[in-house]
Amino acid sequence: MTDERSAPGSGGVLVVGGGISGLTAALEAAEVGNDVFLIEKNPYLGGRVAQLNQYFPKLCPPSCGLEINYQRIKNNRKVRVYPMTEVKSVDGSAGNYQVTVETKPRGVNNNCTACNACVEVCPEERANAFNFNMDKTKAIYKPHDHAFPMKYAIDMSACSKCGKCKEACKYDAIDLEMEANTFTLDVKSIVWSTGWNPYDPAKMDNLNFASSDAIITNMMMERLAAPGGPTGGKILRPGDNKEPESFAFVQCAGSRDENHLEYCSYICCMATLKQITYIRAQYPEAKVTVFYIDLRTPGKYEKFREKLMSDPNVFFVKGKVADIIPSDDGGVTVIAENAVTGEKVQEKVDLAILATGMQPAANQGMGLTIDSNGFVVTDEDKAMIAAGCAKKAADVVTTTQNSTAAAMKAIQASRR
Amino acid sequence: MAEGMRVEPDLNFIKFLKNAGGDTLKKCYQCATCSVVCPLSSDDNPFPRKEMISAQWGLKDKLIGDVNVMLCHQCGDCTAYCPRGAKPGDVLGAIRAYAYTHFGFPQGLAKLCSSGKNLPMLIGMPILLIGILFFLANGGMHLPDAESFKEVGFGHFFGHWDLHFLTKNVVFIDAIFLPAVAFALFATFRGVSNMWKEMEKSVNADTTFRPSALQFAKDFLWPSLVEIIQHKRFNECGENKNRVNGHLPLVLAFIGLFIVTNYAFVVKDIIGYFVEGLHGPIALANPIKILANVSAIAMIIGIAILWANRSNQEEKTGASGTFYDWFLIGEIMAVGVTGLGAELLRLAGLVTPAYLLYFMHLVSVFMLFLYMPYTKFAHMAYRTFAMAFEKYRESGFVKQ
Repeated sequence: MTDERSAPGSGGVLVVGGGISGLTAALEAAEVGNDVFLIEKNPYLGGRVAQLNQYFPKLCPPSCGLEINYQRIKNNRKVRVYPMTEVKSVDGSAGNYQVTVETKPRGVNNNCTACNACVEVCPEERANAFNFNMDKTKAIYKPHDHAFPMKYAIDMSACSKCGKCKEACKYDAIDLEMEANTFTLDVKSIVWSTGWNPYDPAKMDNLNFASSDAIITNMMMERLAAPGGPTGGKILRPGDNKEPESFAFVQCAGSRDENHLEYCSYICCMATLKQITYIRAQYPEAKVTVFYIDLRTPGKYEKFREKLMSDPNVFFVKGKVADIIPSDDGGVTVIAENAVTGEKVQEKVDLAILATGMQPAANQGMGLTIDSNGFVVTDEDKAMIAAGCAKKAADVVTTTQNSTAAAMKAIQASRR
Repeated sequence: MAEGMRVEPDLNFIKFLKNAGGDTLKKCYQCATCSVVCPLSSDDNPFPRKEMISAQWGLKDKLIGDVNVMLCHQCGDCTAYCPRGAKPGDVLGAIRAYAYTHFGFPQGLAKLCSSGKNLPMLIGMPILLIGILFFLANGGMHLPDAESFKEVGFGHFFGHWDLHFLTKNVVFIDAIFLPAVAFALFATFRGVSNMWKEMEKSVNADTTFRPSALQFAKDFLWPSLVEIIQHKRFNECGENKNRVNGHLPLVLAFIGLFIVTNYAFVVKDIIGYFVEGLHGPIALANPIKILANVSAIAMIIGIAILWANRSNQEEKTGASGTFYDWFLIGEIMAVGVTGLGAELLRLAGLVTPAYLLYFMHLVSVFMLFLYMPYTKFAHMAYRTFAMAFEKYRESGFVKQ
C-alpha cells in the first residue's frame, strides 16, 4: 500500500500536550519515521505524572518511566519539542492543517546549565504551581528536580526585570527581553493529549476546602510525599507542619456527581490506596479511614486492596463524606453516614484528603468534537485524534495504550 | 441483617411513589450524602438514605412505620446535594402521600383523594350536596333584595324561619359542617393511632408501660406544638428556608380563623338560640371581625408565597408538579379568595356575585375539612404526632 502523494514517513503529526500520553504518541509516531511536533504548555514535559510521588502499576517514582521517554526524544531527530507553547488556532482540514502556536517567553536560553546562581540573587517570589501553591519559588526557577528540558524559566508575571539574574549568570543564558514567538506548523493530523486538571475542590461547598489547611487534595498529597515536594517528602500538615496521627480519605470528591463531574474518575480509589502506602511508610501507627461509595480496584489491583484492607489501622467506611468541619486544634471533623450500620460517623482527623477527580483540560474550539463531559472525541475523518486523559479518565497504563493507538490513527489519517 | 433478609417488594407501592413525585427514586446509589446534609436528620437516626433503599425495594411496611418519613420537612437540601438527581426530598414526600392514603379511613374516600383523576368528583360531590340543600332549603333560587342583604348578609342563604332565635341558616350550616368535621376528626384519629402503632412496632417498643394521656400531652405533644408554631425545624432548612415566610402566616391564619369560627359557633349557634340579634354580620370594627379579616389576608398572602415558592422550586429542579402538593395549595387559596371575596362583595352590596362566591366558599371549606385526613393537609396531624413520637422514642418509655 504505497501512497504516491507523500513519501512514507513524511506526514507531519502535531501532538498537543507533552505528558505521558503526548510523549508516548509522539515517540510511537516518530520512531516509525514520521515528523512530529510536540508542544507543551508547561516549561517541562511529563505533565501530571511528573507531579506524582509514585505511580502504578509498579509504584515507581515518575523519573523511572519518564526518563526513558526523554532519552528516546533526545535520540530521535524526528521529534521537535516546543515547551511553553500552546495552540492559538487551527486552520485547514485533514491532511493539510495549518496550526498557529505561540511559545511564551521563557527568559532562559539553551546555554542554561541549571547552576542555580540566578535563583540565589533573584529578589522576587511566585507561588509554586507545580507543588499546588504549597510553597514558593523565585521568579526565576527550576521547573522541578527532574525537569526536561533541564532549563530554568522566568515567570514573567512575577519578574521585576531587575537584571540581577542576568549579572549572576556566567553562561549568558538569560534574556529578559525575550518575546512571545508565534509561528505556524503544517501538519497532516493532530493528536490531542491535553490531559486533565484536578477538579477544583472549592466547588464542593459542603466540603469546606478553603476553611482549613488540614483539608488537602490527593494531588497535593502526592507532592507532600514526593522527595521534590514542599516538605522534602515528609507528609506534614500544611500550615503548621504537624505530623498527622490520623487521616481521612474522602472518595468521590466531585466525581460520580451530576452537580460536578458526572463520571467516575477511575484513578481515585487506587490513588488513595497507594497514598495509604505512603502514610504507612512514614507513620506505622497512624489511623487511616477511607470514606467511599464503592471501591473500584479493577483487575489485578484487587490484591493490592486486600493487602491494605488487612492493615488493622486502616478503616473503610461505606458512606460519602458530605460535610467537613474545621476544629480549633487545626484538625477537621469529617461527617458521613455509615451505610452499613446506619449511623452517622463524625471522624476527627489531623488531615483530610479529598480524592478529587480528573477534569479534562479545556479543549473548546479548535474544531474538536467534545462530549458532554468535556472529553475529546476522536474524529478520524478530520484527523483529530484524542489520547490519554483528554479522551477519558484513565490510569497511566491505559493512557499509554490508548496513546499508542492514537499514534497509529494519526499516522493512518496523515497518509490518506 | 447478617443472616440475610428476604425482600418482598410491593410493586404497587413503588408504582404509587413514582406517580406521586418519586419518579427519580431508582437513581439513588446509596452514597448517603443526603443523610449528612439533611439539617433535620439526627446522629442516631440519620435519614433519608435508608428510606431511599427501602423505597427502592418496595418495603412498604417498613416505611409506613418510619417516623423519619413524617419528620422530613422537604427542605430540599438533600435534593440539591444529591449526586444522582434522585431527589430524596420528593421521594419522602411521595411516601407521606402514600401513608396518608394507607392510613385513611374509609379507604374508598382516601383513595379517591389520592389522584388528580378524581378531581371532578372531589369538587362535584360537595357542590351537589350543598347545591341540593340550598335548593331544598330555599325553595329554589331565592336571592334577597339589596336592602335585606345589607342587614342579614348571608344569614338567609339557606332560607329563613323563626324557630326561636335559631335561624334556618345556622341549622343547615351545622347540619353540613358538624358531621363533616366530626367525620374528619374521627378518620384522623384512626389514621394517626394506626401510624403510632406501626411506629411502635418499628422500634420494638415495649408497651407494658405507657404514658398517661396527661403525661403524653405534657411531655410529648405540647413541646412538639411549640416547635411547630416556632417553625424551629423549618428554620434549620438551608435550601428552601423562605418557605417559613409563607407557612408561618398560614399557620397563624388558621389559628386565628379557628378562634373566630369557634367564637361564631358558640355565640351564634348556641347563645344565639336564647338571645336575639346575634345573627347578622359582625361589625367591621369588632375585634373578632378584625381578627377574622387579618387572618383571611394572612392566609391568602401565606398561601400565595408557598404557591410561588413551589413553582420556583419545580422550575429550578425540573420536578413535575404533583396532585398531592397542588391540591392543598389550590384548596387553601380557594378558601381564602372565596371567603374574602364574598365578604367584599357583600360590603359592595352585589347580591348575585356575592351569593355565588359564598356558595363556592362553603364548597371549598367543606372540601378542606372532609378531605383533610387523606390529602397533604393531613401532615398537620401526622407530622405533629410523629414529632411527639420522636420524643416518646427517646424517652424512658421506649429506651431502657
